[in-house]
Amino acid sequence: MEFGFTTAAYVVSAVLFILSLGGLSGQESAKRAVWYGIVGMALAVAATLVGPGSGYWLLSILMIIGGGAIGYQLATKVQMTQMPELVAAMHSLVGLAAVFVGLIAHIELSRVLAMDDAGKKALEGFAALLAKKDGVEIGILRVELFLGIFIGAITFTGSVIAYGKLAGKVDSAATKLPGGHLLNAGAAILSAICLIWYCNTGGFFPLLLMTLAALFIGYHLIMGIGGADMPVVVSMLNSYSGWAAAAIGFSLGNDLLIVVGALVGSSGAILSYIMCKAMNRSFVSVILGGFGGPAGEQMAVEGEQVAIDTDGVAAALNEADSVILIPGYGMAVAQAQAAVAEMVIKLRAKGKNVRFAIHPVAGRLPGHMNVLLAEAKVPYDIVMEMDEINEDFPETDVAIVIGSNDIVNPAAQDDPNSPIAGMPVLECWKAKQVFVSKRGQGTGYSGIENPLFYKENTRMYYGDAKESLNKLLPLID
Amino acid sequence: MFEGENRVGMTPESAKQLQKLGYDCMIEAGAGANAGFSDALYKEAGVEVVKTAAALWKSADIVAKVRQPETAELKRLREGQTLISFFTPAANEAGMDAAKKKGTNVIAMEMVPRISRAQKMDALSSMANIAGYRAVIEAGNNFPRFFTGQITAAGKVPPAKVLVVGAGVAGLAAIGTSTSLGAITYAFDVRPEVAEQVESMGAEFVFLDFEEEQADGAATGGYAAVSSPEFAAAQLAKFREIAPDMDIVITTALIPNREAPELWTKDMVESMKPGSVIVDLAAEKGGNCKLTVMDEKIVTDNGVTIIGYTDFPSRMAAQASTLYATNIRHMMTDLTPEKDGQINHNMEDDVIRGATVAFDKEITFPPPPPKVQAIAAKPKEVIPEPTPEEKRAAETAAFKAQTKQQVTLLAVGSVLLLGVGLVAPANFMQHFIVFVLSVFVGFQVIWGVAHSLHTPLMAVTNAISSIIILGALMQIGSGSFLVILLAAASVFMTGINIFGGFLVTRRMLAMFQKS
Repeated sequence: MEFGFTTAAYVVSAVLFILSLGGLSGQESAKRAVWYGIVGMALAVAATLVGPGSGYWLLSILMIIGGGAIGYQLATKVQMTQMPELVAAMHSLVGLAAVFVGLIAHIELSRVLAMDDAGKKALEGFAALLAKKDGVEIGILRVELFLGIFIGAITFTGSVIAYGKLAGKVDSAATKLPGGHLLNAGAAILSAICLIWYCNTGGFFPLLLMTLAALFIGYHLIMGIGGADMPVVVSMLNSYSGWAAAAIGFSLGNDLLIVVGALVGSSGAILSYIMCKAMNRSFVSVILGGFGGPAGEQMAVEGEQVAIDTDGVAAALNEADSVILIPGYGMAVAQAQAAVAEMVIKLRAKGKNVRFAIHPVAGRLPGHMNVLLAEAKVPYDIVMEMDEINEDFPETDVAIVIGSNDIVNPAAQDDPNSPIAGMPVLECWKAKQVFVSKRGQGTGYSGIENPLFYKENTRMYYGDAKESLNKLLPLID
Repeated sequence: MFEGENRVGMTPESAKQLQKLGYDCMIEAGAGANAGFSDALYKEAGVEVVKTAAALWKSADIVAKVRQPETAELKRLREGQTLISFFTPAANEAGMDAAKKKGTNVIAMEMVPRISRAQKMDALSSMANIAGYRAVIEAGNNFPRFFTGQITAAGKVPPAKVLVVGAGVAGLAAIGTSTSLGAITYAFDVRPEVAEQVESMGAEFVFLDFEEEQADGAATGGYAAVSSPEFAAAQLAKFREIAPDMDIVITTALIPNREAPELWTKDMVESMKPGSVIVDLAAEKGGNCKLTVMDEKIVTDNGVTIIGYTDFPSRMAAQASTLYATNIRHMMTDLTPEKDGQINHNMEDDVIRGATVAFDKEITFPPPPPKVQAIAAKPKEVIPEPTPEEKRAAETAAFKAQTKQQVTLLAVGSVLLLGVGLVAPANFMQHFIVFVLSVFVGFQVIWGVAHSLHTPLMAVTNAISSIIILGALMQIGSGSFLVILLAAASVFMTGINIFGGFLVTRRMLAMFQKS
């Protein structure tokens, strides 16, 4: 009964997980979809606890409760602007868990292999499962757990570094050790050698060596990637954590782990692809870090940046019929989303058409801006994607750029030598008037001059986004 | 200041504005009476009411009029005086000679160039707007049925069908009026680029099956140009086809300084239903329909009413005067940049230069082309509408390419799978199949996820990737202390993740609200 029941429960869980991801296609169905995921998870855990191979269930439950309590604290306390950090931190936990589970599999395997037949018969649980395997299967098992540990270790250190960068604990600029990608390549080759070594001997040392190499790759790879590429990095790590789970699933012979790992893995891969496409860069170039050197002389920017004061912005907003706001990472940094939302409410109350334009890579996490705006109670039906709204700029009276830079850079379209040439951008300069809320005159993450700031219809509204907006609010009537 | 017919070139409202520019205003007694502005109202606004026109001509430095000055008035012109009026300079040699001789500066309101900056003084447009509106009202007055379709207890009434020929300002005004009365409105214009404007007013644009490079409307200052004979023939054929269906036809087709083109022929009129109405706004220039009699309403033998009035704006004198007076005032504002009551006739200014037909004893007509190019939309890259065959061919090609791509992918994938299957044991293959299928399902499902939900997606995948907890749970009961320790740590960490991930997703999703 036990085994059959577990398998049946796994099937149901798998279906629930698929539904839970599929339900995210719309805001309303998503609310239901989360419940599918929760029920699926609860079912899977319960089925495993009563199923074969487990023991110490009291300890297990205590651990789950303990972890759950911390998870609950995290989930309720976290600020929406800190979502990228939270997601990265969680990835690191999945990675570490994958490493541990892989190590256990190795320890058990060595123990079981060392036993004689009589000893094997007496085994229970996971060890009993291992004991049934023959030569080829053990070989495959070793490859699987090796891969599981390898991916898990990369995910772990990679996520820790990503977390550090997002939380501002590690300098977010791209830094590399001398030797650059050669070091990564060396570590990868070392891991490959270890794999062969491990398969032949089954010893612990190659496994340890590989783990260290993988930890180093994860660290060094992410250190070399700058802040604005974080959406790709985080979704890539998301993907890795899935593949790690799938690899562990193989080594444990657990189909549910494989299914879920594959789902998560492909989800992360698609997200990375979407993000890369939005930046018009290949995945490889993002992962290898930094922007490539410019292909030629960049167009010189003519004109000057013209500043404007609060009264000027307020007057223009009071007169405008249609307004589009373009938030970026700067809004998240300044925690200005509530002030933005308040302004939007005021403007909308006056019957103006106010909308948001969201670039796919705005912020540090896919969909980051949407979540921030949702937190500030901006209705999601006025939050538009780039493709939906780009054509509307010419009919817009005022476009306000709040803390974004590269995603509104006209050089991507005009200057074939620009490092971001060909990247799809929000064409806000086509609006009748553009206000740019910005701290100072510096360039953005990519270090590229933004000709938007020098356009005739652009006015620079310097200052911290939140303070500026708070000054602006009382003037809108 | 002064005027001619029902309309008047200054209203009490505009007089107040003119005084702000530093001018003193005068008006001929009773000039505004027909437009509903009594002398008392003018006095209230600070306007001096002058008994006779002659006295006014003598004392005023700037004279604003509606109609082209008559011979008697031309004699009253004097040096240094500025006349702002409709002037029809192309057909008014006598008037221009008089102005030249007397040294009067003449600004012809119909010569205001059609550029965005000058729209506020474009009197032709404001008059055409009124004419278009009034044309529909006149038609309705003579049309024996409803405009709008109704289903009543007494039976069903079909909506009237209105065709507007020429989608200029008058045409667009007519379209707007007609659609808001509930009629089904069709519109035609020789400039295909106005189709968008027509459709935005709620009418259907009548397209011709005719391919020809149309003259760029922008090149002719936003007006229509003469079309080729082939085009005209195609146009007439189309009208002939739809004529029997139309209840009301409003023709507004005018080409600057030419006789109106004949667009609605006798046989079309004959094919129309009795009770139908034709309003010919081009009557003054000979009419788009040759049966039209200028300034009169006639009924043909088959019961079609043809209205040839030319004084539509004058029939709505109050509205027309308000708009015209505002146009004049804007012109005065441009002429008085200092707001000091002194006219500054700046011949460098595109708008003023364009509208001036006589200046400083010179005839300055026709004006040079404006430096700023006209309003009409730039010619769009006309992408030829693909024929159904081409479309089908393109679709088939795309489908084939897609099929090819998919088949290749499937073939490569299958070969790889088979290769793995050859070496791997059956036990592994079972899991491998599950894996491949899951990746496939994952790809299918994730593409549907809304962009705005990517952050919740990451949080939820985070939570469910902690399914790795199952591995730890399976192992925890097996073997040594070290195993238990590692497994317990894994369970603990994934526990954080599961709860944290799901809860934070719920928190985020709860924030997404519809307005």
